[in-house]
Amino acid sequence: MARKLLGVSLLLVGCVSAQPVDSAFFETKIRPVLAAKCYACHSSQSKSPMSGLVLDTKAGALKGGRLGAAVVPGKPAESHLLRAIEYRDTHLQMPPGGKLPDDVAADFRRWIEGGAPDPRQDAPAASAKPRGMSIEEGRKWWAFQPLAERPRPKVKAASWPATKIDYFVLEKLDARQLAPSPAADKRALIRRVYVDLVGYKPAFDEVERFAASKDPAAYADLVERLLASPHYGEAWGRHWLDVARFAEDNPTSEATNPPYPFAWRYRDWVIEAMNRDVPYDRFVKMQLAADHMSVPRDELRALGYLGTAPVYHKDQRLSADVIGGFLADDFDDRIDAVTRGVLGLTVACARCHDHKFDPLSTKDYYGLAGVFASTMRVERPMFDVEPEVERRYLWVQRRLFDLRYSINLLSGEALTVVNSVELVAKWKPELQALEKEMKSYQDKYPALVKSLERYWTFAPPAKDQPRQRRVETTSREPYMNAVYDAAQYVDGSEKAYTVLQYKPGEARDYPVLINGNVATPGQPVPRKFVEVLSRGETAFRNGSGRLELADKLFDDAGPLAARVIVNRVWGWHFGKPLSPTPSDFGTQGEKPSHPELLDDLAARFVRNGWSLKWLHREILLSSTYRQSSKPRPDAQAVDQANALLWRMHPRRLDVEAYRDTLLHVSGRMNPNPGGPSEDVDADESVRRTVYGRVSRSRVSKLLQLYDFPDAAQTSPGRDLTTSSLQSLFVLNSSFMKLAAEGVVKAVAADASAADTARALFRRVLARDPSPEELDAALTYLAKRGPESFAQVLLSTNEVIFQP
Amino acid sequence: MSGPFSRRELLTRLGGGFGSVALAGMLARDARAAIHGFYSGPKLPGRAKHVIMLFLAGGPSHVDMFDPKPALEKYAGQRPDSTNLRTERETGGLLPSPFKFAKYGRNGVDVSELLPQLAAVIDDVCVIRSMYTFNPTHTPARSLYHTGSILATRPSTGAWVSYGLGTENDNLPAFVVLSPGFGGSGGSLARSGFLPAEHQGISFNCSETAPEKMIPDLRNKWSAAEDQRADLDAIQALNRGFGKTFGPDDYLEGRIKSMEAAYRMQFEALDVFDIRKEPETVRAEYGPDPFGNGCLLARRLVEKGVRYVHVNQGIGQPWDDHEKIEKRLRERCPGMDRAAAALIRDLKRRGLLDETLVVWGGEFGRTPVSESGTGRDHNPYGFTMWMAGGGIKGGIAYGATDEFGFKAVENRVSIHDLHATMMHQLGIDHTRLTYRYAGRDFRLTDVFGDPVKDILA
Repeated sequence: MARKLLGVSLLLVGCVSAQPVDSAFFETKIRPVLAAKCYACHSSQSKSPMSGLVLDTKAGALKGGRLGAAVVPGKPAESHLLRAIEYRDTHLQMPPGGKLPDDVAADFRRWIEGGAPDPRQDAPAASAKPRGMSIEEGRKWWAFQPLAERPRPKVKAASWPATKIDYFVLEKLDARQLAPSPAADKRALIRRVYVDLVGYKPAFDEVERFAASKDPAAYADLVERLLASPHYGEAWGRHWLDVARFAEDNPTSEATNPPYPFAWRYRDWVIEAMNRDVPYDRFVKMQLAADHMSVPRDELRALGYLGTAPVYHKDQRLSADVIGGFLADDFDDRIDAVTRGVLGLTVACARCHDHKFDPLSTKDYYGLAGVFASTMRVERPMFDVEPEVERRYLWVQRRLFDLRYSINLLSGEALTVVNSVELVAKWKPELQALEKEMKSYQDKYPALVKSLERYWTFAPPAKDQPRQRRVETTSREPYMNAVYDAAQYVDGSEKAYTVLQYKPGEARDYPVLINGNVATPGQPVPRKFVEVLSRGETAFRNGSGRLELADKLFDDAGPLAARVIVNRVWGWHFGKPLSPTPSDFGTQGEKPSHPELLDDLAARFVRNGWSLKWLHREILLSSTYRQSSKPRPDAQAVDQANALLWRMHPRRLDVEAYRDTLLHVSGRMNPNPGGPSEDVDADESVRRTVYGRVSRSRVSKLLQLYDFPDAAQTSPGRDLTTSSLQSLFVLNSSFMKLAAEGVVKAVAADASAADTARALFRRVLARDPSPEELDAALTYLAKRGPESFAQVLLSTNEVIFQP
Repeated sequence: MSGPFSRRELLTRLGGGFGSVALAGMLARDARAAIHGFYSGPKLPGRAKHVIMLFLAGGPSHVDMFDPKPALEKYAGQRPDSTNLRTERETGGLLPSPFKFAKYGRNGVDVSELLPQLAAVIDDVCVIRSMYTFNPTHTPARSLYHTGSILATRPSTGAWVSYGLGTENDNLPAFVVLSPGFGGSGGSLARSGFLPAEHQGISFNCSETAPEKMIPDLRNKWSAAEDQRADLDAIQALNRGFGKTFGPDDYLEGRIKSMEAAYRMQFEALDVFDIRKEPETVRAEYGPDPFGNGCLLARRLVEKGVRYVHVNQGIGQPWDDHEKIEKRLRERCPGMDRAAAALIRDLKRRGLLDETLVVWGGEFGRTPVSESGTGRDHNPYGFTMWMAGGGIKGGIAYGATDEFGFKAVENRVSIHDLHATMMHQLGIDHTRLTYRYAGRDFRLTDVFGDPVKDILA
């Protein structure tokens, strides 16, 4: 106790001291504490000392860790070490096991005030240089190289190749003395290409007509017909929606992050754009920046890519740091979705530190963060509005949303917040002024004014009344979930209450956050593109920089973006992409099995105007794609995984193709395109699965069962599993029961047993039964009847399998 | 396609293809994963094979249950400087606990009068009074509790264990969530995140007791069992015919086996999930409410090899006592106390306690200062959780909060440390539990957490 009192008194009277602050002081008072309490985590002997800080060397203590100098001689206020051990800052408290005694902390303060004498003679602490690649090395990385078309490789069987793709595939097979597989039979091929392009299996007549055709152009014609079908966009739009982490609500739908009622308009835009074969570069650019491009209003639906992005709830009672952290998480989603989705780069790894492997820095990360910190989610009208009026409207819309939330909160459950009554009183006149202002547009834009109606009548509920929790999950009003340029700031000036500020038309640069922590902001970084991919000017100057970012993705980073999408498209056609890590083309990704093929195809894809339909034709008309998928022991002995593509990969249908096929064969499918989503788990739901509601918080049971990806993040590709729960669905669900009933209804009722059996086979499996199958079917039908037999057929492997 | 090779390829590399290995469980499909999981680090000495997580959503009040603070009486209504910590809402002066505490067990661990049954088994319980976490609002704090992160992309601890250790039972999921009513499994608690979807927690409604009401599509409502067997035989005959035409294929063979497993599961699950098969005395010991049912079912499930069972106490966030805390705790505690204590006793009787780690807690604790005069606000700075079994020291209270119970000050245990400790007891070095994601071998605990060695038996 005496010692403790002494320590405190020393602190009070300043530097008066029994013991001078010198090397001996360090040895007796400081070093033992460092050794006992700090070295375990902060030692130069450690491979990765915590926070990059080492305290067992003098240089290490002076240099400090990620926060900066741990010890600044003579300046206790700037010494992070002291800040940490004094436990005054909730974000920085060391040692983590508990606060040191006050007198020990006081010793450290005295030591630092006294110039921090430290007799240790040491080599400078190991530099904290990241292990990642330098920019110069990075520029040589294969995936970043310019694209060039490759010469056609020489192959043995010159008659096999049908498109240029085949030469690259055959060259590798030749090298391993493997022959390609024979062409798939026509019945297998039409099933394959139907599932692939329109997302469900063909009917019996279709299959037989194709099988019977002698026309050498029959296959190419079929491909053209399916590419021109409106159902093509439904299947291929869905692939993109996986990458775009499309959903219609938030991981936690709360007061400040309610569902997106117009998300379906973005989904419809994607489907339509696929059908129109909008060039891929333009397709992505519109999703990032349609409002900066000269496009019809309707195209602004593309902005749903950002406008329906996941966001976290920002309870305004939280501190500015906590809210700022949530906001930074929002930006992180955009950075991750764009960089992994479009560029196959894990830029989000550089949020807390430079990327450990790839040439990506925190500056790259925060340069992009500024773009998204200058982009606001809003509901934009589908109809034309003068730009100034719209900009004002969008600000007012968001302001009213926030005000309603604030007033509701502060006059309800948060009534205890200091000044809440005054705050609410202050906001009331603002509300009235905004009402007056917006109502002045009544004659010109009645729909605009109508959309704000709910805010004028707003009255906070009495304290004990249950609040109305009605949340619109979907709406047909003429609006779209989109974005516009407005800088976002966290305003922590009210003590107990944090608000977000939006500055329309303004952009902001975002600071590098030390260790990714909003409480320790560093220098702001100009909004800019990833350095290693940039040619010339990197900074963005036009508003948020979204359009410049979009342009850079396809100019400076064009070769990478082309490789990434061509690899994805290949994977969607074949079941496996050429590079097995489609969202990681960095050093930790897997290199493609056929790099020359990928490069050549990407180069020609760009030359052909980034046309996805061109790419489909190139792939679908190849001999490689048309191979049989049957197993071959000789080839499996050499290449079990089929990396060399000696056959087509056989696979399971994804959930959309499976459910849509079941709806088709049972005659229950409602083929109408577009519009608000419905619940795919509901028995009465009979539209295509792509029109099912996608939720980030309550995932449909069926979608989840069949490996639908988590829509809170961009999906690198689906992992298609087999499980007994899936089998329970097949054996016992009402969906399968209804499908069986539908099948029976769709076949002739008064036919003989043999005709019925044949008709059921044709309806469900699009083929005739073999004689043995027919025999077994007749025996079964006599016992269990046509509906049970329909369900038997629906439950078979053949239905869910794509040969 | 998420690892260096797909699971199917891995399986083939391990030899034999699907046909030659046992079908690996309801959700996992790989023999290696089924038996050992994908954890490839050193096997630590931890003895636990299963986890039962008892979760009290809303944030139970530690100063009323496990962490007595006489200073609250002394300074009642006052607001000393050290209590000026920002929480979710505006708070007032210190609010003493209305409940009496006494010391129990061989080491005299404090337990309040609200929890007489847990007090009686306290010698098997390690009360951690120095927990802290990083967010004062429910959703992010729950996400931290379940996944170690507030991000919506991270897998939950149950998914970690399913991924790391696989399953012990072919016919049951590795990770089960028991929740009264619906909506208990949303969000972070059952999430597989960037791990493959098979590690997602499978959710069952424990306010029901009939298995066919708890498990979707468990029973066929239209066919008798023998008819269904005939149907399945017809399906499999067609499948075999198709397989002959196509040739040997992992997927086709796997699905044939999976159909059989599902057929069998209809009956096995009917048995395992049916707590009505327990003796009346056992059911009475756990109590008749959904939490009692859930705890009892959790025991039945781990007995059958389920790795991780999460049991939610109540619907929504019942422990969020912003007001009338005395009345509400008196109503809510007896059922929770009875079921949790019964679980410990029952596991011990059956010799399962040593291999089953029971964890109890909420996303944070509550403030010693009052909100609205009769309640307490959220408190992430210091709170109590407890662990029992699974090689954890019983009969101790570890760590301490400050004199008012606001902030953990001694032997502080972060939520990350708790996760690391759980993994340690399962034999997993959490720094080696990784999954290839976003360009790196992503540690499921990210960069956080150290096992609390002091509480290991």
